[in-house]
Amino acid sequence: MDSMLVIKDIWKIYDIGGEKLEALRSVNLEIEKGSFISIVGHSGSGKTTLLSVIGGLTEPTRGNVSIEGTDVWSLNDAGLSALRNEKIGFIFQFASLIPTLRVVDNVALPVIFHKDNHGDVYGRAEKILSALGLSKKLNSFPSELSGGQQRRVAIARAFINKPAIILADEPTGDLDAQSESEVMDFFSEINEKEQTTFLLVTHNMDLAGMTDRIYHMRDGALLD
Amino acid sequence: MKERKTSNKLSLIFLAFQNLMRRTFRTSALLIAIAIVSGAVFSTSTLMWGVNDSLKKGLSKFGADLLVVPKGSMISMKSALLSGEPSVFYMERDILRTIASLKGVKKISPQLFLTSIDGECCVIGNAFIIGFDPTSDFTVLPWIEEKIEGPFQISDAIIGGLNTQNVGDTIVFYGQTLRVYGKLGRTGVGLYDNAIFIDIEHAYSMAEKSYTIPNVAPLKLVRGHISAVLIQLEVGAKLPYISFTISKDPNVKVITAGNIITSVRQNLVALFSSTIVLSIVLIIANALMISAIFSTIINERRRELGLLRAIGARKSSIFRLILYEAALLTSIGGLSGVIVGIIIMRVYQRTIIFNLKALNMPYIWPSVTDIVMLALGAIAVSVLVGVAGTFYPALRGSKMHPYDAIRAGE
Repeated sequence: MDSMLVIKDIWKIYDIGGEKLEALRSVNLEIEKGSFISIVGHSGSGKTTLLSVIGGLTEPTRGNVSIEGTDVWSLNDAGLSALRNEKIGFIFQFASLIPTLRVVDNVALPVIFHKDNHGDVYGRAEKILSALGLSKKLNSFPSELSGGQQRRVAIARAFINKPAIILADEPTGDLDAQSESEVMDFFSEINEKEQTTFLLVTHNMDLAGMTDRIYHMRDGALLD
Repeated sequence: MKERKTSNKLSLIFLAFQNLMRRTFRTSALLIAIAIVSGAVFSTSTLMWGVNDSLKKGLSKFGADLLVVPKGSMISMKSALLSGEPSVFYMERDILRTIASLKGVKKISPQLFLTSIDGECCVIGNAFIIGFDPTSDFTVLPWIEEKIEGPFQISDAIIGGLNTQNVGDTIVFYGQTLRVYGKLGRTGVGLYDNAIFIDIEHAYSMAEKSYTIPNVAPLKLVRGHISAVLIQLEVGAKLPYISFTISKDPNVKVITAGNIITSVRQNLVALFSSTIVLSIVLIIANALMISAIFSTIINERRRELGLLRAIGARKSSIFRLILYEAALLTSIGGLSGVIVGIIIMRVYQRTIIFNLKALNMPYIWPSVTDIVMLALGAIAVSVLVGVAGTFYPALRGSKMHPYDAIRAGE
């Protein structure tokens, strides 16, 4: 199978007041297209930092990240932005919605940065929101939603540009057990139908248990 | 449930507009501050433009390249010309021959200034009467806007555009009944708007007859005296040389149209200097205020800006988003200031014109096209202030590290 993600010897070292802090230590990972994997670890183990390095949000101190053969950190700002917009769907720990936009606009938002994806955006947004149980909230504003509903809107947004890989950081953090199960079912369905690759980081072992493979992180190092 | 709009209305400008609507009090306060600057810039420039333009138009109608007056009467002449203030001064008519003989002089025409006395029998008080020579005139007859059919008669008068009489009416000075033959268009130049022009020969005879009217102070004027000589030069004639040659006569003073415009401009700048300085201070203060507020706004929205970067916004998109927000805010504020400025100037237009005329400044309202241009200029200044003030915060916002921005506040 084709490699979706290849990580080679990634280091991320922060210089905090002259003191070196190794957030990532020689991380190596290769993920096939259509994989559904999770990385678990305690808070501060480096999971979120690894996700942001993979997603082109934090530049590693050294090492390489390649997504579908593209060396992420060799791209300029335009290339990196296009990669984030077209190939990657981010789900952050917080809901991260724009408060002045309606739910459907929040979901459609990434499209304004996409070079040629202005088709039936709202139809697509509505379909994703319906799949996540939010068909009656299309015109609501984020302040009118519960924390769990806001989280599902943020999840819907990650799928609007049909990304090749979803990078999810504690994606079900605000959800109750039933919603969590529905979201994971939605992920599985997309994974199967679209061959979308999923990389979840979490400290929730039950959630990790629903993925095909679990990696562990400790003190910045990735363990099998 | 509300009807969902299916159009793809999402854009950076839409996002910028939504951001402005987020904090209505802050946005309103900024709009008012920008409107004050825009209103000040627009009002000042409109008034200055009006004075300058009316002066240019008036003097272009004046048609004379040079004006020769008796020595010591230059200030009175400027006052007469600009505000229509009745002024009386005389010199010998012989100067006409000397000037006519100069090479480069195309036309010359004498004028005689009289002022009537207020409140006496048979006299319209305090009018500025100017005797002109219809045979040589080139500054009055060509600018008649409406008139009676037939040639100008010796007992006729031509009135300036601000006089209340109509064509065909009669007016009486020192027992002499004059028919209003024509009326000049309004020029903004006091002399042409306020004066009453009569045949110079009639003016001499009126002065002579004034001695026969009981209980009225006579017009102290000697036949053969004139007040001013209007000179039009040949194309290509050297104005400074002719002016210098005439000035060799110690009894006269030469005034050019340029002298008058410069003099009014100096008065204009002096009058508006405080307003100009205040406008500049307001512009700088506004730019700094916008800069400070947008720095705060960007700090408040660090996480959102980081999110936009994460979903595909380039640095330049973030930069444009912030500039659009500033441009929208300042253009709306600028437009509001212009509208308020127009309303205030219209409400106080009589007071404004009265005060300007008291300072020898002619004024006619700029044309609609000029006002639109000035309004666009004032709005453009507001937008430039906004963009300049936001430039650095926007640059800083666009360079924020996406990951750090997303984690802001954690």
